[in-house]
Amino acid sequence: MIKISNVTKTYGAKKALDNLSLEIKEGSIFGLLGVNGAGKTTLLSILNALVEMDSGEVEIFGHSLSKEKTKIKSLSSIIPQHLAFYENLSVGENLDFFAKIQKASQEDYDKAVSVNALKELMKQKASTLSGGQKRRLNIAIGLLNNPKVIYFDEPTVGIDPKSRNEILDSIKNYKNFGITVVYTSHYMNEIEKICDEVAIISEGKLVEQNTLENLFLSKDNKSVNIEVVYSNILKELNLKLLDETNIEVPKEQLCELLATLEEKNIMIKKIDYGSTNLEKYFLKRTGVEDV
Amino acid sequence: MFSAMIKKELLLVFRDKHALMALFVLPAVFILIMSVAMRDQFSSKNLEFSLFVKDLDKTSMSQEIIKLITNDKHLVQIKEKGDAQFFIVIPENYEQNSNEILKLNVQKSLKENEIEVFKSLLSEHILKARFHYISQSIELYSGKASKILANLEISSDKLYKVKYKNSKKLPNATQQSVPAWIVFGMFFIIIPMSTIYINERKQNTLMRLNSMNVSVFAMTFTKSIPYFLINQVQVWIMIGVGVFLVPLFDTPALAINGSVLAILEIATGLSLAAIGISTLIAVSASSSEQATTIGGILNLLLGAVGGVMVPKFIMPESMQTIAEYSPMAWGLDGFLDIFLSGANTQDVFIDFIKLFVFGLVCLGISMIILQIRIKKGL
Repeated sequence: MIKISNVTKTYGAKKALDNLSLEIKEGSIFGLLGVNGAGKTTLLSILNALVEMDSGEVEIFGHSLSKEKTKIKSLSSIIPQHLAFYENLSVGENLDFFAKIQKASQEDYDKAVSVNALKELMKQKASTLSGGQKRRLNIAIGLLNNPKVIYFDEPTVGIDPKSRNEILDSIKNYKNFGITVVYTSHYMNEIEKICDEVAIISEGKLVEQNTLENLFLSKDNKSVNIEVVYSNILKELNLKLLDETNIEVPKEQLCELLATLEEKNIMIKKIDYGSTNLEKYFLKRTGVEDV
Repeated sequence: MFSAMIKKELLLVFRDKHALMALFVLPAVFILIMSVAMRDQFSSKNLEFSLFVKDLDKTSMSQEIIKLITNDKHLVQIKEKGDAQFFIVIPENYEQNSNEILKLNVQKSLKENEIEVFKSLLSEHILKARFHYISQSIELYSGKASKILANLEISSDKLYKVKYKNSKKLPNATQQSVPAWIVFGMFFIIIPMSTIYINERKQNTLMRLNSMNVSVFAMTFTKSIPYFLINQVQVWIMIGVGVFLVPLFDTPALAINGSVLAILEIATGLSLAAIGISTLIAVSASSSEQATTIGGILNLLLGAVGGVMVPKFIMPESMQTIAEYSPMAWGLDGFLDIFLSGANTQDVFIDFIKLFVFGLVCLGISMIILQIRIKKGL
């Protein structure tokens, strides 16, 4: 269990974290949502003992952050948003270096290489890797110390969808190794795809912490969005239209609406049960448009 | 952990071809160019005057003067009086009439101090010729007095022994250039060192190392080792250039009169000072451009003040006092003492201690700055 109690951090006049409290279950994949400047990166830096909090208490797997920094660092790993390895060294040289300074076992080394599919790239200079390969190396370095918790700070920024899906699939697998994952991202669909629980932070404060299931079942999220091909008949059907082609319908009326659309020969393009809802929910709770 | 970090630093340094060029090739080229270019300025070979002698007296005394002039390596008689720097006329009755004096015409371009040097050389020969003449004249009356006069030495070398203040002789071009550019080259590590530090900060590897429980001391110490080794290699390559390469260009080879251990001592102190100031700039600057600019300017200033660009012994006294505050001057003095005066480890100990303390203080401040930056989130 990671227990964050009343943590405050100020940079000059700006409060990056304001009396923030959170609980993260061991072995879960925990999503941290917030707009730029909400305090996500500051929180991750504090949890990794890289930045000191002004006040509050953090307990990670029974260890107090203020008293056992070295121990906590050895249990944790952070995958920074920006690539944190040596571009002039090969993949193997990077992994060897970071493994040696953490005294990683051969087993953990091999696991980090195989999980991130780096075996064929070991001799390649890091600067010549593709965007996705660089991200994988960045993650592999974080796995070398066999951490109990990994903090991902927007790890899929700027990579192609195929590489992103590969990375997300590998992160989902960390649950099987008993690793707790704290994941921040701007992409709602990523959070929906891999996270068990989500916390929404705005201006350094916790807005909401809940499981994805509960978020979708909440009264604000009981509707489904359907995108259809434009038709003149739509306006005559007494539906809640979000725009000319998007319909919002309560979940219990979904079957009825699908039957109506089929009867009227209106082509369906997309049915969205979750992602749009989470995004809408997030925007509603944080009161901003820029995610 | 230390060995892994040192290996990583070595790999990064040796893959930076431009840095290696700056660290090894540039100082070597400087040594070669400066030694050859300044050869004549530092050499006693340039103490050479051309003269034309017109002998109107044609006596044994005038012949004796001409003979002495001919045997002087600093005086060259030429056949055309128009080309001579000095035109000497020995007047008629010069031997017989002691009131007769030589006439000395001097070329306009000559400087006052050059004329004075020439006059001193010429006076020596005139006096010698006169003594010779008197010695011969009195031989019949007093053989003893004649002998004393004949053996009377009036050359400055025989009249007094020159002792240099603090035993410091003046260097020749190679003796000045080699240590000067060794020192300058060693401080060149500012550029690659700051680049690596700032890249680590920019690429978040420093943050990652911090998250992996790597201390600021370990980061600083392991970064220093490769540059210390580079500095030591630099010293011996530059000495090699002075000993073996420079003589191929008709320039005096570097003679190492002092002990090898003393060279190692000064090289160690200098390296620590160079690493210290490089680390300080690297951790203080916010971009590699800033570090390169500040480092470059500081290097040039320390070099100019410290006697690298302009030898300290030709600086005015006030500048020499300022030079005492440049770590480059401490290193340069140490090397010059070793190469010129045959200094041993004890003789250069003070220079070593100054460099050592300077380096440690810089490293200490650097570690404090780095720690603060890391705590503030880099």
